[in-house]
Amino acid sequence: MKHIFMMMMVAAVIVMMSLAASAGTISGKVAGVSGESVVYVEAPAGKTFPAPTQEPVIDQKGLVFQPHITVVQVGTTVQFLNSDSVAHNVFWPSVGGNKKLTHNLGTWPKGEKRPFKFDNAGAVPLLCNVHPEMSGYVVVSPTPYFAKTDKSGEYKIENVPDGSYTVTAWHEGAKNQTKPVAVAGDTKADFTLSK
Amino acid sequence: MKTRRRVFQFHAFVVTVILLTGSAYAIPAFSRQYGTSCTTCHIDFPKLNDFGKAFKDAGFKFPKDDETFIKIPPVMLGSPAQKELWPHTVFPGTIPGIPQIGLRFNQFFQYTGSSANKYNAAPQGGLGSLQSPLVPNTDFEPGFFSIFIAGNFGSDIAFWVDDDLSVAGLNANGELGDGYLRFVNLGRFFKLPTDSFTLRVGQFELDLPFTQARSINISPYDIYTQANFGSTNQNVNNVIELADAAHGIELSGGHLYGGYHYSVAFVDQNTSGQTASAPNVPSPTGGQVGAGGVGFFSDTNYKDIYVNVSYRFNLEQDPASRHDIQAAGATGPRDHTYLSLGTFYYEGRSDQRFSGLTSGGAAAVISAREPFYRVGGDFSFNYRTFNLFGLYMYGHDNDLLLNSTFTGFLPGAAATFNGGFLEADYLVLPWVMTIMRWDRVQSTADFLDQAGSGNYFSPAGTTRNRYTPGVQFLIHPNIKASFEYQYRPQQALFYNSNGQPVEPFRTNVATGALEFVY
Repeated sequence: MKHIFMMMMVAAVIVMMSLAASAGTISGKVAGVSGESVVYVEAPAGKTFPAPTQEPVIDQKGLVFQPHITVVQVGTTVQFLNSDSVAHNVFWPSVGGNKKLTHNLGTWPKGEKRPFKFDNAGAVPLLCNVHPEMSGYVVVSPTPYFAKTDKSGEYKIENVPDGSYTVTAWHEGAKNQTKPVAVAGDTKADFTLSK
Repeated sequence: MKTRRRVFQFHAFVVTVILLTGSAYAIPAFSRQYGTSCTTCHIDFPKLNDFGKAFKDAGFKFPKDDETFIKIPPVMLGSPAQKELWPHTVFPGTIPGIPQIGLRFNQFFQYTGSSANKYNAAPQGGLGSLQSPLVPNTDFEPGFFSIFIAGNFGSDIAFWVDDDLSVAGLNANGELGDGYLRFVNLGRFFKLPTDSFTLRVGQFELDLPFTQARSINISPYDIYTQANFGSTNQNVNNVIELADAAHGIELSGGHLYGGYHYSVAFVDQNTSGQTASAPNVPSPTGGQVGAGGVGFFSDTNYKDIYVNVSYRFNLEQDPASRHDIQAAGATGPRDHTYLSLGTFYYEGRSDQRFSGLTSGGAAAVISAREPFYRVGGDFSFNYRTFNLFGLYMYGHDNDLLLNSTFTGFLPGAAATFNGGFLEADYLVLPWVMTIMRWDRVQSTADFLDQAGSGNYFSPAGTTRNRYTPGVQFLIHPNIKASFEYQYRPQQALFYNSNGQPVEPFRTNVATGALEFVY
């Protein structure tokens, strides 16, 4: 009995170690632009991921979308809050450049939220009909493997299973760059974007 | 005397047109302070949307939580805690964190119809006399370079100053537009409803139902620039025009974006258009005219009074939307659908001083104080981006004629005029405004005074109708191209023995304007 228990423990440790060994990281730098960028892993063919239950909040405060860039996984519901005493209007003209996916969330009073579930991947430029200077982005990643860079462009995506992927870098106003990345443990992938 | 009056009237008209043409202002200083676009407050600047009206009502502040929107913190002029020490300290205030300065420049191009050649071809004066310059068919005209500052000192005291630094390409040839302090919401000291009582002091455009100084039109409203000069047999020489800048104080209250609004102004009376200062009586600016001072702006011991009362019915069914600053819309807040009705009244005395005699035969200055008034009504209907508005005004000046002994005056026939305008603005796209306007002025005296004068504005009848379609394009929120075509009133150079115009014609003009503010 004692031997059986020991063997099961050893087997469990081996399985866990093997799992840990197959989950790597992708890190690197996005150059050519300044400020925050987003890097995300495209979905492998036929692979789907469960939608997260967390609902991030994008605030409208002082005539500014806060945060300016929000990254979510496909299927995430985002709560849009209005903290201003003036009326706003949230809409987007496209999702990932697809103008057919334009949507207008309308207007709601101070202190209230309005949810929206993003089912399509791509960058969503947030605008306000009333205050044209207001600008924000929701970047909808097709996988749970994404990261926002720091201001110097450095990023790190953790817990990516080993394998071959397509990785995309996005920056406000720049052309996306996509490159194949073979993840095996800690993997480097640098991008240079241009406007 | 009549000739001099005509010349004066002609020049007054030209100067008025020049000064009022495009004297419109938007406030980029607010854009900088709040980090927001011109379109937050304007539809086709400088026309205000409902939020812009509320911003103005509140003393150039966001109506609620203003401090949360200011991107550049104000400079404290004393700690707020100093208030507790008052009156043993100066009451603290604030000034904007950046100089609230905006600048504006515009320029024009005008095409004048070939009818102008009728003036060019008609000689004036005797043989060999020098003639007036040719009226060209096309003309590039530099407009204004203007500076304007506006903002709030933090304690509900708003300020505004605008001045034309250059006019028509000349340096320092402009004049002060508005310059005032506005003490907002003074009613709180008397426990009156919010915004029910505000005081404005300085030089300002009267609270006209529809602003002239901040109009989107290139050419001014004719009725606003209508002075009242009597005909040959009358002694009425009142230069006051409703669009004139007034000096004085104004009490006001209510809101321009819904509900009631009123204003009562007490302003300088000056019907001669002259400033005056006797050598030994200094004005507040010191000295006499031309000797370091600018003289007195009143030419009588009276003050004029102007009253404007209006009520705006917002027509949304939902009460919350109806009472809010902007109406809720499916694609964001928008201007209300509304009907506004109002009335206004201006009263004063036209003062004319004559060299006369006392009843005992001694030399004396005798004054004809001719009461006058302007009264009218106005309406404005708005549906989404379509705005139809109009105004009617009646002007009446009593007439006092010198008696034959130069000791007093006899009543004569009053000089009257009437007219108004009707305008439709339709914002086809957020950056394209179309305009259709009808101006009308009916003045028998103008016709009689101008008939046969041969000047460029001689009407062919007692009624002057002008139709002015226009279109404007916002190239950017702060850069605008404007075009208008004026189908002008009929004019004439010659009249038959019955006083009827011979071969009347119209001198229509097309005008384009480019302007920017920054």
